[in-house]
Amino acid sequence: MSLTKEAQHAYLGHITRRHFLKSAGAGFGAMAFASLGAAGATDLIGSPDPLAPRKPHFAPRAKRVIFLHMAGGPSPLELFDYKPTLARLHGQDCPESLLEGKRFAFIRGIPKMLGPQANFRQHGESGAWISDHLPHLGRVADKVAFLKAMRTDEFNHAPAQLFVHSGSPRLGRPSMGSWVTYGLGTENANLPAFVVLLSGGAAPDAGASVYGSGFLPTVYQGVQCRTKGDPVLFLGDPEGIPRDLRRKSIDAINTINQQQYEDVGDPEILTRIAQYEMAFRMQTSVPEAMDISREPAYIHELYGTAPGETAFSNNCLLARRLVERGVRFVQLFHWGWDSHGAGESEALNGGFLERCRETDRPVTALLEDLEQRGLLEETLVIWGGEFGRTPMLENRSGTDNPFVGRDHHSDAFTMWMAGGGVKGGITHGETDEIGYSAVSGQVHVHDLQATILHLLGFDHERLTYPFQGRDFRLTDVHGHVVHQVLA
Amino acid sequence: MKHLIAGYIVVAAALSVFSSCGRAPEISFNEQVRPILNERCVNCHGGIRRQADLSLLFRHEALAAAESGERAIVPLKPDESELLRRVSHADPKHRMPQDDDPLTPEQIEILHTWIEEGAQWEDHWAYVTPKRPALPDVSDPAWPREPLDYFILSRLDKEELSPSPDAKCPVLVRRVTLDLIGLPPQPEDVRQVCVDGESYETYVDSLLASPAYGERWAAMWLDLARYADSKGYEKDIGRTIWHYRDWVIQAFNDDLPFDQFTIEQLAGDLLPNATESQRIATAFNRNTMTNTEGGTDDEEFRVAAVIDRVNTTWEVWQGTSFACVQCHGHPYDPFTHEEYYEFFAFFNSSADRDLDTEYPTLPLFEEEVAERGNKLLENIAQLEEDIIARVRSNALAEERRAWETTLDQPEIIGRVRLMLQNEVKRVVATPEEQRGDGQRWTLDHIYASVSDDPELERLRTEKAEIERELRTLDAVHTPIMHELPFQRRTHVFERGSFLLKGEQVEPNTPDALPPMPEDAPRNRLGMAQWLVTRDNPLTARVAVNRFWEQLFGIGLIESLEDFGTQGLERSHPDLLDYLAVSFMEDHAWSVKSLLRSVVVSSTYRQSSRVTDELEVKDPRNRLLARGARFRLSAEQIRDQALYVSGLLSLKMYGPSVMPPQPEGLWNNPYDARRWQTSQGDDRYRRGIYTYWRRTVPYPSMTTFDSPSREFCVSRRVRTNTPLQALVSLNDPVFFEAAQALAQRMLNSESPLEAGYIYAMGVAPDLETLNTLEPLYRDAKAYYTERESDVITLAGDQGSAELAALIVVANAILNLDQFIMKA
Repeated sequence: MSLTKEAQHAYLGHITRRHFLKSAGAGFGAMAFASLGAAGATDLIGSPDPLAPRKPHFAPRAKRVIFLHMAGGPSPLELFDYKPTLARLHGQDCPESLLEGKRFAFIRGIPKMLGPQANFRQHGESGAWISDHLPHLGRVADKVAFLKAMRTDEFNHAPAQLFVHSGSPRLGRPSMGSWVTYGLGTENANLPAFVVLLSGGAAPDAGASVYGSGFLPTVYQGVQCRTKGDPVLFLGDPEGIPRDLRRKSIDAINTINQQQYEDVGDPEILTRIAQYEMAFRMQTSVPEAMDISREPAYIHELYGTAPGETAFSNNCLLARRLVERGVRFVQLFHWGWDSHGAGESEALNGGFLERCRETDRPVTALLEDLEQRGLLEETLVIWGGEFGRTPMLENRSGTDNPFVGRDHHSDAFTMWMAGGGVKGGITHGETDEIGYSAVSGQVHVHDLQATILHLLGFDHERLTYPFQGRDFRLTDVHGHVVHQVLA
Repeated sequence: MKHLIAGYIVVAAALSVFSSCGRAPEISFNEQVRPILNERCVNCHGGIRRQADLSLLFRHEALAAAESGERAIVPLKPDESELLRRVSHADPKHRMPQDDDPLTPEQIEILHTWIEEGAQWEDHWAYVTPKRPALPDVSDPAWPREPLDYFILSRLDKEELSPSPDAKCPVLVRRVTLDLIGLPPQPEDVRQVCVDGESYETYVDSLLASPAYGERWAAMWLDLARYADSKGYEKDIGRTIWHYRDWVIQAFNDDLPFDQFTIEQLAGDLLPNATESQRIATAFNRNTMTNTEGGTDDEEFRVAAVIDRVNTTWEVWQGTSFACVQCHGHPYDPFTHEEYYEFFAFFNSSADRDLDTEYPTLPLFEEEVAERGNKLLENIAQLEEDIIARVRSNALAEERRAWETTLDQPEIIGRVRLMLQNEVKRVVATPEEQRGDGQRWTLDHIYASVSDDPELERLRTEKAEIERELRTLDAVHTPIMHELPFQRRTHVFERGSFLLKGEQVEPNTPDALPPMPEDAPRNRLGMAQWLVTRDNPLTARVAVNRFWEQLFGIGLIESLEDFGTQGLERSHPDLLDYLAVSFMEDHAWSVKSLLRSVVVSSTYRQSSRVTDELEVKDPRNRLLARGARFRLSAEQIRDQALYVSGLLSLKMYGPSVMPPQPEGLWNNPYDARRWQTSQGDDRYRRGIYTYWRRTVPYPSMTTFDSPSREFCVSRRVRTNTPLQALVSLNDPVFFEAAQALAQRMLNSESPLEAGYIYAMGVAPDLETLNTLEPLYRDAKAYYTERESDVITLAGDQGSAELAALIVVANAILNLDQFIMKA
């Protein structure tokens, strides 16, 4: 869209909203439904509501997304990328040819090679290699497409996380979830369209920017739903205000606002009336969606959940409940995969194993649960971190250290996708004998983004927004759809 | 057949031009030709892609032979112009634009005539110095109060619309008070003007003199200055730079002329005998982010900060999206890739370099330690000179060269700070005689920090001790701009990457704009002065448009950030030029004087009622046949709620404060700092003093569309969402305001009326009162039965009456008329 079209867009939106609401003036509830209700997709242009459901460019394979971000950069060499040769090279000096022209975050000088810190075996009919650190995932191996030769441009956490989620290493661009809700709107107006769930004891390195709306209107930014306190900030009525009194307050506010509308004629007032109605409904629908305590025992058993805690397993179950209710994009962050080996909590033989234990069962459960409910077909699930890790040992202090770890590595890492139009039971891309560089099937982060948008029915080059004089898109000026993983 | 018709039109057009020979050209390049080129051609034949070696951005490029040897445009000779042949080609394989719809016959005709007339390029209006336009004729000479009203009315005449009557007095008083000081009027203010007969102009002057004025306008400027209390990037740790925020407030209150305001922020440090205040002003450009993440490259992020300074300067003062030119020529505006780096050179010689210490900073000492502090600073400066002299002395030359050749060894390089290791390797890779002053300087400093030379060790130790003492002195250290004693070399960065250095360039301004005066210094100061010369076509236009947008909700050009050829259309071109010239000449760059002239105008005073006719003809109020009506800003919404409830602290200046926010929002893996809720008055300060952490901005402000301040933002969008309703209904800050307002209401004979008057400045109409009363009755009935809820809501001393008033006050603070400026 050019800027002129932007102006036109705003103008049309304005006109449409005005007429829409004028013709639907039968009480507040009806009006709110008319303007913001779930039924029927409309075109982007002239949409009365920025979150109304919209049709993408072509028929989509996936309607919603769950992105499981393993923040910190999980090591593929201990999870999916099986490298027996690396085991044989264990302890040897890294050849200089591998270091030339490379920038590392912490490795300086000549490091030693570090063999895989895991045993591997093959799973499913597809024979996918999965390490024993993930004993559950093998059950769903045939639903998953592994991308073994991912590459990114960044080797520090914050820029690399921004790169995966916004297509740019710098702050200020819209995140993928924002682009998707901007393009598709939402199917449940009573819940936020783009929900973010955090676990692992810390927020992502780049903060809220990894789910921010950048230059898109803030209605598209991710809403962090919390498992402690109000699930959405300020959702709960102040203590001492009962529900029916809140209802009466909103009725009084909206009655006076309606009178104001009749006096001054500003259609913005009608939108405000509708938004107060929606806020009231969200106060019921969000806590209901976020309450996992009423799930049956077998579901808790499947996921390994314990209601009331802030845990990745709870967030996986919440992700299923949210997509089931029409939330468009659910973004999970699980922090703690930064396995440098400088201390136990961030060692491959320490914290890394914990992360595997915390995530393996619920991730597997999520795929199984989505499938048994018939949701997997139209729900795209993505697993991965912001970069990979070196086949070399990182030894920052240069001294004897009981803990082992690897440095950040941007040239090769593994991510996987499942559901929503993805071909299950395949591996795309291959790295060299030590998992250092791609040999075939390299997928750049922008390619992954193009593919995700493709599955949702978008031509990634045409989902754009004008800002600072040009049309911006998630994939910047890059990106090719990876057709090999499409079902 | 189609082709024949098109050919016929072309011939006919040619004939018509032939017959009009000697008259002024028929075709306007800016209005007719440029839109075609921009929309259909420059994507492939412009500043980014020059396919077939053809660019249509500059005339000399378009007239030159392309790759094929053909000339796209041969002035006066349409038949020889390849461009015309290709756009009207019958074969889609050869026709331009390729793989796209053909141009319309009308567009081809325009191009044809234009080439026949000589294919002259016109400068885009925004790059031509504005002249003062004459006041237009109007239908009703009695309506205008100010010159600007003539321009508005003349346009309304053309559209056959009439202006709206003046808004009712209390409405106007509330509007102008919110606009000028960001707070609503007190009921007494309304009475004074609307009942006691104080003149509107006198009231306006009192607002302009209020200290709250500076706080309101600083809020707008801080978005442009990307001011925040944290450094950004991963750790986003704290930064002490609030002295700059205070400087901006003070500058607005002192009505520092906008030209001086500009010069001090961009180059105050370079002014002769620069004052403390002028040096603090330069913190404008230290609001760039600093990356303290382990393993990052300091040089990379030093360059990123310089790039941000260039882009911000162009957006703030020139309304130009210069960021594109970082990587390649501008896609559609006349700026080249080289020109970007010529401008970059103005900013490339400052001493800051992405250090965790925020070096260089200006310490402002508490009075009792000032003398000692300044003495220590002198000592440090002397020691730094001694250190560099020692590093460069012959005595160390050999040892130093040996060090340079052994940097590959882990134990040698390992002593250099991790974030400088890449840069030192890059410098050493450059042969000694080819190194620039900047590279030599970098190397000197790094070597000084690792050398084993006993003399250097002594100097370092001494310096460290003094620095230790300095830190014990009571002082606030503000990051500022400080120029190195030499110029860093500037190269064009190929594709924008700091590692791919192209040709070397010298500081300069782009050719598309009037040049710097011959005798102006080629440094930041000269550049800042150039921005505010009378000839600069953009600065005044861009500035008045920003102030206009703040008052009317939409700029005379809606794209405040883009005055280029792809910017949005101007609603009143002559008015924009009039205001720009008037700002420079009549108001002598005084912002207060400019704002005064706008708020006393008839245009400003109109009622904001949207009639059915206006809703159809001008729904977005571009023509201004009515007053503006739009939602208050994030800061204003907070300030207003606290103010009308009597909670707002009017304390000014000082460190940023932490009003209550929900638990657990600050949770950064690398930073253990937590939100420490402020005590006492500091809980209730104006929003401009709220601690602004870039990665976790204050939640209620973000909900009302405040930006994260990572980069310069010209326009805040105004959304209208359910999350906003949740904030103003339930956020403890807003609910506390309702509780305090209810206390005020309780003391009144007719509390409901009083509550509304506190909020809106005037009594409610009967309908409103009739709606609030049943809410009050129902609430009171409920609380009479529920003592425990009364205590929760209204405290131990509370009554059912007070609890019910809290419910009503909460509703009043959520009314549309309260949240909007009308």
